[in-house]
Amino acid sequence: MPQQLAIIVLVDVGNAIADGTLDGNTYLFDNMKLHGSDGQGTGGLVTAINGAYWADGSQASEQVLNWLPYSLGSIPPTVPRGYQSDRARQTDREALAELDALAARPAAGADTAGRLDKIRKSVGTRIKTTRRTSGRLSNEKVLDVTGEVVGDLGTGSYSYPGPIITDIYGEAVDEKIMYPAEYGSPDMVTDGWYWSATVDTSRPGSYAYTMRIQLHKLVVQDGQALWHPVNLTCTSSLRITSEPKRNAFTKAGMGYLPVPMHAPPTEGYAGTDAVTESARSTG
Amino acid sequence: MTAKTRARETPAPAKRPISITAVVDCVGVLATGSMSGQLYLYDTNKAGGSAGFGTEELQTKAAVGDKLLWNCLALECEAYVGIDAVVIDPEVCEPERKVYPGTDVAYWTGIVKKLPAEPVPYEIRFLVGTRAQSVPTTLSPTLTG
Amino acid sequence: MKPQVNIMAVVDVIGALSARTLLDGNLCMVDNGDYRSTGQGTPALCTLVCPGQAVQWTALAVDLQTPVDIKSIRFLDPLGGEGVAWQPQHAAPIAANGGFPHANGSDASLSNGEAGAGSAGDSDTLDLDVWIGLVPPWMTPGVPYKYRLELQMYEGDNSIMHVDLPALMSV
Repeated sequence: MPQQLAIIVLVDVGNAIADGTLDGNTYLFDNMKLHGSDGQGTGGLVTAINGAYWADGSQASEQVLNWLPYSLGSIPPTVPRGYQSDRARQTDREALAELDALAARPAAGADTAGRLDKIRKSVGTRIKTTRRTSGRLSNEKVLDVTGEVVGDLGTGSYSYPGPIITDIYGEAVDEKIMYPAEYGSPDMVTDGWYWSATVDTSRPGSYAYTMRIQLHKLVVQDGQALWHPVNLTCTSSLRITSEPKRNAFTKAGMGYLPVPMHAPPTEGYAGTDAVTESARSTG
Repeated sequence: MTAKTRARETPAPAKRPISITAVVDCVGVLATGSMSGQLYLYDTNKAGGSAGFGTEELQTKAAVGDKLLWNCLALECEAYVGIDAVVIDPEVCEPERKVYPGTDVAYWTGIVKKLPAEPVPYEIRFLVGTRAQSVPTTLSPTLTG
Repeated sequence: MKPQVNIMAVVDVIGALSARTLLDGNLCMVDNGDYRSTGQGTPALCTLVCPGQAVQWTALAVDLQTPVDIKSIRFLDPLGGEGVAWQPQHAAPIAANGGFPHANGSDASLSNGEAGAGSAGDSDTLDLDVWIGLVPPWMTPGVPYKYRLELQMYEGDNSIMHVDLPALMSV
């Protein structure tokens, strides 16, 4: 069966934008630690991919890689996607309700100004829609890392949008070791889009690859906020090994199953009663 | 492009909260019953002097008045991990559990009230998978002044 | 008759490790045999087979992300009572070099815990194992031969669990 292998790309977006590089600001993980991957949680991950082949030399298992880019210090990926849009609508409704209340009960002037300012802050900052930014990030509001709208962008407490992988290329692709492409999916964790690749494990060796990653920095122009794309790259590599499949019963060729020579009694042996405890963990 | 219309970057902020993110190998925790070797800690204050990134002994550089925020994510994207508690000297910080508005996704947050000269160790307790009991950190991350 | 029957053990790895049991819906076994196997979708699958048919076992994680491998399959000794493994040297496999894995005298899985802890050299190649064999002619028809299916999920003290519930039965 194909084993789904995941590579997590965790980016310190704020620092990467400040430094202008992903070097030192990217932490890579995979779920192949037991297969011999090195450098978990660092920028120097080497992903081990252990292939297998049959006696005739043909590839015995298909390995599928998935890349999941996450942002360090942003609203976590477990919060449903579309959250920015939901919060934008929700905070608008709250502000309208407050305005209604204010209009219905006009108070003293100073108080009204204060309350209007409070409402302005709670309405927050909506991202300007331009031709380039229309779509994913447009018309949302700037949220802070606790999911509240940001009224004053000067504090810089906003949550960055998650990093987006825009390309995967380099040696491992040129050598046709893997075939990456972006796919659509109903998976909410990845915003419905993710990069995936099947791997040819028939040519063992180490192969580097590069990810082009798009970050977004908040730019305020004429009092309007927009997310400005910043394109950076980071590299990683695959280390491919391949070993022959083997018969687990005989360690050699096909044989009879190791079934007892004497037949089990017909009673008290079959069935599911009174044996459930034996199915508990041995640990 | 004139100075007036040129895009202005927002200034690098002083009031940005320090986010501490725990990356947890959930299957590893459940198979071993321990956080040891299954936890990678990071924060967003590397430029400010935090150290120990990617280890279980993250040293977060903080100052009195800083807002701290703890959250976590699972190495296996379909596994559940959450923070059950952040246990720290209440004179230093009293973290409390909050949820992202309109969701049941939780984070922990607190303000640094006091910071002694020596590093302040603390413990994070994690909820993993559908396991009933939380699993505490084996080694201690710290806050340093 | 199909030349091969496939038995698949589908495991909710996170669920099994969290609750420390393969029961409670964490293990679901199915086969694609020609006959009316019973217990499809449960850990108590009784697969109906014919002498000479090949039977292959495969383990699969529900979420495809978490590792699960078959660590051993051992038919239970019908005379030895519950939970005692049948010793493979009691029968002669037809293959040359017919040794069996995990059937060494120490029998770690029966020592009540710690099985496989620290046996990294073993578990990291379990994915190369192909659990396949032929139904022998000596099985008494209509009698279920129960076997212990031992699964390894990741590594560690709690990573190995087994069930003694599934069986093969010759028609």
